[in-house]
Amino acid sequence: MVRTTPPALPVRDKQNTRALSPMLTRLAEERATGVLVREHGVLYLAEGRVVHAESPHAPGLDVLLTAHGTLAGAAWQRAAARTPGPLHAAELLLDSGVLPTGALELCHLDALYDAGYFALAPSSTPGRFRYDSAPRLGPLPSVPVVALERETLRRRLLLHRLWPDPAADSAPLIRADPAAGRTPAAGRAPAAPVAPRQRAVLDRVDGLRTAADIARNLGRQAFHTLVDVRRLTAAGHVSPTAPAPPVTAPLPPHPVTTDPDIALLKRLRDALEAL
Amino acid sequence: MPGIDECLLEAMRLPGARGASLVDWTSGLALGTVGDAPGGDHETTAAEAAELARIAAEHGTFAAHGDEPPPLEDVIISNGDSYHLLRFVDTSFDSSVFLHLWLGREEGNLALARIRLGEMASRLVLG
Repeated sequence: MVRTTPPALPVRDKQNTRALSPMLTRLAEERATGVLVREHGVLYLAEGRVVHAESPHAPGLDVLLTAHGTLAGAAWQRAAARTPGPLHAAELLLDSGVLPTGALELCHLDALYDAGYFALAPSSTPGRFRYDSAPRLGPLPSVPVVALERETLRRRLLLHRLWPDPAADSAPLIRADPAAGRTPAAGRAPAAPVAPRQRAVLDRVDGLRTAADIARNLGRQAFHTLVDVRRLTAAGHVSPTAPAPPVTAPLPPHPVTTDPDIALLKRLRDALEAL
Repeated sequence: MPGIDECLLEAMRLPGARGASLVDWTSGLALGTVGDAPGGDHETTAAEAAELARIAAEHGTFAAHGDEPPPLEDVIISNGDSYHLLRFVDTSFDSSVFLHLWLGREEGNLALARIRLGEMASRLVLG
């Protein structure tokens, strides 16, 4: 069976002047320095350029560097303890020479574009910008706002072309075919081949982990993981679990115990145990 | 220890070098570029070269025996007036990047460039 080639990688659309965040465009024009907090991530700006980005959906620089032993976890923690944030910790590591400059620059840019992609995702709440003199142009590469926006748009288009449904991006993932990974039964068409980097993702699909969990587990960029998840979804290997039905059952009007003191004490105990 | 820009500038000192870049083959993003690009646009070049690199890397036909990454060392393209040399960068962290060197055919020395680019790829991430 000839494998269908995935769609071509899109090229950035230079004609597209649609800004992902009008506020961000304005901040870039005024060469602002500070911190932009959006629903899905945070951008650190220095003189209108992005110097660092963080998102709960993307593994941080620390995860990328320590997951495969490039840097000892203790070395990162020492640097982090002596500095106000991950960017400064990375600069300290650069200064101390414990990591090759190229490796650190590469990981830093990977993490910046990765978290930036999620930070610029459509949000339901407006972003907040805090002028703050802490972010500054340092020895690690920074990225113009417009470059991050264009790249983010290009990445959205890439994912859309691979598989248009974004459901698999955030839901726990499940193997679509329980027999995947075993020899296909006689008479059944073999599944489309899985590339080695996709195999690592597929091996971690267990019905519970989301793409972000798998990225963290692999020490891999979350966007890279999304590319593989969408391709695995398109090939029929993986599917998102159906969203859990909303809890509509009303809570029992009264605690099981009718004695109000005991019911209160039980709730208090449960709350304390949950701490 | 060289950073990305120093590494690319060093590649540009090779005889016949027209342009060099560091490209992520999963996303098609150029993480650094110097010199010229065919057609004048580094971003298009990066996306197209990434396509080629990914296909070569993912098809078992071209891989060496064993599972050790990276699956490949180089992809070499030659045409009437130039060479394209893609050198996969083997990093200790998870990544999917390669160095892309565009070399004029008249002045360029493919064998020399291949050896030097391999050395540069190692120094970039190993120091």
